[in-house]
Amino acid sequence: MAEKVCRHCMRVLEGQTCVICGTSDLAEEWSGLVIILDAERSEIAKKLGVDIPDKFALKVR
Amino acid sequence: MSEDSQIFVIKTTANQERSVATALARVSKKEKLDIRAILAPDELKGYVLVEAPKSGIVELAIQTIPHARALVKGSSSIAEIEHFLKPKPTVTGIKEGAIIEVTSGPFKGEKARVKRVDEGHEEITVELFDAVVPIPITIRGDTVRILKKDNE
Repeated sequence: MAEKVCRHCMRVLEGQTCVICGTSDLAEEWSGLVIILDAERSEIAKKLGVDIPDKFALKVR
Repeated sequence: MSEDSQIFVIKTTANQERSVATALARVSKKEKLDIRAILAPDELKGYVLVEAPKSGIVELAIQTIPHARALVKGSSSIAEIEHFLKPKPTVTGIKEGAIIEVTSGPFKGEKARVKRVDEGHEEITVELFDAVVPIPITIRGDTVRILKKDNE
């Protein structure tokens, strides 16, 4: 199944709803993939304001 | 002891950036490697950026990953790749009056003049040159190529 992105938290998901926000406002068109593995020590995570390791999109339409 | 993060660049097969990134994340979790983040911006074709403290970690991780071809020598700082984290709208640089060529869709190959730019929706409204009657059509900002910036 195609991966979708939550328009609120930018998480890349596989289901129909975002597990964190609980919303079903998902975008099918997105670009740029960021995978945060260590949110505490990652500089990229800090710049993006992410504190939970997950997959994120950089941009949604 | 936490060491400073550096950015390493992996060369990948074109269009396999996302699969390399996901595979790298999987390997890193399985082997408990100190890879902190993986970045695959769409603007950067054929490359994946990895945030880790040492190049050896990344070198080790990519050994078993298909489509990951090589680790580019040297490293970058976070500041150098920061602009990838804030992508610009695709219509940036397109101005009213510019001449564009449509690159996909039913009007592929047609030349047109930009009438309106909608930054929020990343759409532009254009009028085709070859149309007998000028009808404004709205198309996506990423399906055009700019031929002439301004009509002066």
